[in-house]
Amino acid sequence: MKINTVLAFALAGYATTAVAQAQQITGAGATFPAPVYSKWAESAKPATGIELNYQAIGSGGGQNQILNRTVDFGASDAPMDAAKLASGNILQFPAVMGAVVVIVNIPGVEMDALKLPGELLADIYAGTISKWNDPKLVEANRGVTLPNLAIAPVYRADGSGTSFVYTSYLSAVSADWKSKVGAATSVKWPAGAGAKGNDGVAATVRNTKGSIGYVENAYATQNKLITVQLRNKARQFVKPTAAAFNAAASAGNWRDAKNFAVDLIDQAGDTSWPIVSATFILLPKDPKDPGRSANVMKFFDWAFTNGAATAQALEYIPLPGAVQDAVRSAWHTEIKNPDGKPVF
Amino acid sequence: MSATLSSHSTLPGAIKNLNVAKALGRRRSRASTVVKALCVLATLIGLALLASILLTLIVRGFGGIGLGVFTEVTKPPGSNGGLLNAIVGSLIQTVIGVAIGTPVGLLVGTYLAEYARGSTLGNAVRFVSDVLLSAPSILIGLFIYQLVVAPFGGFSGIAGCIALAVIVIPIVVRTTEDMLSLIPVAMREAAMALGAPKWKMIVQVCYRAAKDGIVTGVLLAVARVAGETAPLLFTSLGNLNWSLSLTKPMASLPVTIYQYAGSAFDDWVQLAWVGALLITFGVLAINILARVVLRGGK
Repeated sequence: MKINTVLAFALAGYATTAVAQAQQITGAGATFPAPVYSKWAESAKPATGIELNYQAIGSGGGQNQILNRTVDFGASDAPMDAAKLASGNILQFPAVMGAVVVIVNIPGVEMDALKLPGELLADIYAGTISKWNDPKLVEANRGVTLPNLAIAPVYRADGSGTSFVYTSYLSAVSADWKSKVGAATSVKWPAGAGAKGNDGVAATVRNTKGSIGYVENAYATQNKLITVQLRNKARQFVKPTAAAFNAAASAGNWRDAKNFAVDLIDQAGDTSWPIVSATFILLPKDPKDPGRSANVMKFFDWAFTNGAATAQALEYIPLPGAVQDAVRSAWHTEIKNPDGKPVF
Repeated sequence: MSATLSSHSTLPGAIKNLNVAKALGRRRSRASTVVKALCVLATLIGLALLASILLTLIVRGFGGIGLGVFTEVTKPPGSNGGLLNAIVGSLIQTVIGVAIGTPVGLLVGTYLAEYARGSTLGNAVRFVSDVLLSAPSILIGLFIYQLVVAPFGGFSGIAGCIALAVIVIPIVVRTTEDMLSLIPVAMREAAMALGAPKWKMIVQVCYRAAKDGIVTGVLLAVARVAGETAPLLFTSLGNLNWSLSLTKPMASLPVTIYQYAGSAFDDWVQLAWVGALLITFGVLAINILARVVLRGGK
């Protein structure tokens, strides 16, 4: 009886929603941009009539789902392998960017007071610097009182795009790190303890005296954690601010990046934050349902034009205008109907 | 212990035996006390874990419960979203999943108990069903992904329902077979003696006698699938928006919890706690209901 009622309810619902939700598009992938995509979806719905359903199943999942064509678009933090993009006939474009920040819990050390040159950060994670009052750290931080306290590095125990970006930075600034550990979504960490997810690292650092960790910027600001200054390529110490993130994003060499897979780590510029990365959207070049694909592009077109403030409010970095235009022209030239005409 | 015994060993026979008996008695009661204490301790640890889970859920989740949780769909951080689509999606998928899985499970259980007792095929079916019972649910999700999602080119609510149904089947098979096996042979013989055909004996005598147990099995299956995340991740995927369509991705509470719990934003984390509270107490209520139904029948 009850089952019949619910079935009838569900079927009736199907009949009505099939008409009302003709504009629904589905995307899946990276966890990192999920909040901003869902915020864009909320604002874009009244403006464009497109209802986006984005599900954060992880970057690997996003790549697989678009290869299997089970979603309208995939999303990935790490750029997809060029060979896979070609064999899967997929266009990759950046949607938004994010920064990774370093957080610490040292008694007496205030917000953005500690200055960490990249090579010392690598030494800390390598375990060769193990006390906060190590002469090298004291030398770099005149005016900050550093306690005689053991350093507890915290890393991501799960495979993670954040770890990839962070270890890419450590590899860029330390030849030792590059040769001994390298850059990957999960590496063999020489020292420290693991925690699951950005939230796990944030919580562990908050609860452990003497600890240091790395998280996406949103987790540091939302949890009011103590961040540190890092030294960029121009050998200037910078605080993790929106301006510093934007500077790094603009400094990136977008023009020469194949498949938009730009490297934003350790960019030039006096004010650039050194650990910035883009997150990508994956869209089939030969959509089986061109109408839905056109809606995906319409959605991101809307988001590029109108979504910058929303992105910044949620601690993301919007794409520079020139990059947006390059993405728009790639849509036009790369994504075709079966008859060869541009979809969007 | 042995020192005490040997100090009394110079006493005459009868008293000596009595003392030995007393010493043995003391030793046994001491051993019994220790074992009892260990049992009580183990029970307390189990209960404390359950209590701390429930308490944490209430403390962290109760503050977030408001009308909005039940009237608003999931929204981006800072937009006062609720869990309506997730709650309704979970209800739909659980109900349809159980509705698909129960008849199959019931018939297989009946076959095992009534038609295939001791037969090779019956034993093979029972073995496979038991393996399925303990199979990791993510495998069932991937199985349905390959079977339904990939060929039909998209995630859908119905794929989620089918994945849940596959989990329901072995649970219902096991309880149905166990319950039917408990029915005395005399009862079956009585029905047969009155001239009832076998199907009539099963439907009108055995099912009726085993009803409470079978219903309990179904309720336990409901409780099991209501909290499943893994099989839904790659079948019904989840949906941010209000959708009752079975051919489109569908939201569910466990998947929403999974995605919100690790978020940077407090309102999403709060909703994850509320969702966990709702599922846990929903499942607890179903379990209690199952006990009451079972007890009420006896």
